[in-house]
Amino acid sequence: MLASKPMPARKYVVNITVNGMAHEVEVPARRMLSDLLRDDLHLTGTKRGCETGICGACSVLLDGEVVKSCLSLAVQAKGRSITTVEGLAENGELHPIQQAFMDYGGLQCGYCTPGMIIMACALLKHNPTPTREDVRHGLNGNLCRCTGYVQIVDAIMAAAEKMK
Amino acid sequence: MMLAEHGEDCRVIAGGTALMLALRQRMVNPTHLISLGQLEAMRGIAYDEQSGLRIGARTLHSEVAASPLIRERCPMLADMASRVANPQVRNQGTIGGNLCYADPATDPPSCLMALGAKVMLASTRGDRELSIEEFLVDYYTTALEPDEIVTEIQVPPVNITAGRHVRFLRTAAEHRPLINLAITITHDGKLCREARLVVGATTPIPARVTRCEDFLAGKTVTPEIAAEAASIAAADINAISDLRGSEEYRRDMVRVVTRRTICELFGLKDH
Repeated sequence: MLASKPMPARKYVVNITVNGMAHEVEVPARRMLSDLLRDDLHLTGTKRGCETGICGACSVLLDGEVVKSCLSLAVQAKGRSITTVEGLAENGELHPIQQAFMDYGGLQCGYCTPGMIIMACALLKHNPTPTREDVRHGLNGNLCRCTGYVQIVDAIMAAAEKMK
Repeated sequence: MMLAEHGEDCRVIAGGTALMLALRQRMVNPTHLISLGQLEAMRGIAYDEQSGLRIGARTLHSEVAASPLIRERCPMLADMASRVANPQVRNQGTIGGNLCYADPATDPPSCLMALGAKVMLASTRGDRELSIEEFLVDYYTTALEPDEIVTEIQVPPVNITAGRHVRFLRTAAEHRPLINLAITITHDGKLCREARLVVGATTPIPARVTRCEDFLAGKTVTPEIAAEAASIAAADINAISDLRGSEEYRRDMVRVVTRRTICELFGLKDH
């Protein structure tokens, strides 16, 4: 089965806005969105974790809604707008959610953190006053293998309070 | 046209959440992908008295979950869609794509089967309409011909007075249900006039348990009746056995989930 057919590396031009900046990138048809962000645009804040849609480390905002960039082809994002963790800080000041993760120790190794923070952005956009249970339910698509989640939930609850 | 020309070498991509995994694992090896991403006509939710709810195949799970029309007309479907997989996948994956992949461990098929939903198919040869039972053939297999696509899912207006879709996960961190159960009933207090009961995720494809449906019809439901119905469901399903759960464990859990759900539907205290 594997490599039974020659696969021509057909290329496509993808126009995409990332963190407010317009880019035009030529990519092979098979390029993942996560790879376009990391390897073509050198935005390595977005992590590749499981690459099977489970861990959520690759979460980004696509037109404001959270998605997993490892489950999306770069060409599917053509003409659309992406926000990665690099796009959250404004004028050198951390986003309240980023600050809260620092203040509350919502990380250990940090690998899941960009995905957690992006997920938290989407969560608080739809539900600015969540309960702890809402936050836990909202983090269902993000795995952290270090912290046990308690401080991540603390950080998001604190950020929600601050962003009111 | 392209689908008709390339047949099996060609795959249709909508949200891509399922297809990307299949591509990664080299389960499928297409030479061409056809994206439905620009077909806005295949996305959206409408209602009319004759067809009932009409859901475009490209409608996202998150859109099904949030739709005021679906929440009003069919809260069980909106509730199910709000729990499918995880938040990111709900923003990417489509209801039509979900059906076409025919993954056994997913929630929409069993829910739609209990609601008597219909699947609209189209190809250059013409359109056809199948019930969910006809559409789902086997493990990862549907009745779709290589040149066909799903365009719409319809949930006909039926006389259902209550319904529930319940998913059972081995651990809270999992996204794939070990078992799901969808029950729709027509009832009057504790009297069950009619019931439709579907077990999924623990069977190769979701299946109605007709002996259980017949058993419940016309009965005044008590905790004992619920327990007996649950035992029928556990015995009658074609339970799979794999690394995620043995056949015995799956039957046991189907029994528990079915009993609890019937009790809840009829406002009974579970013992």
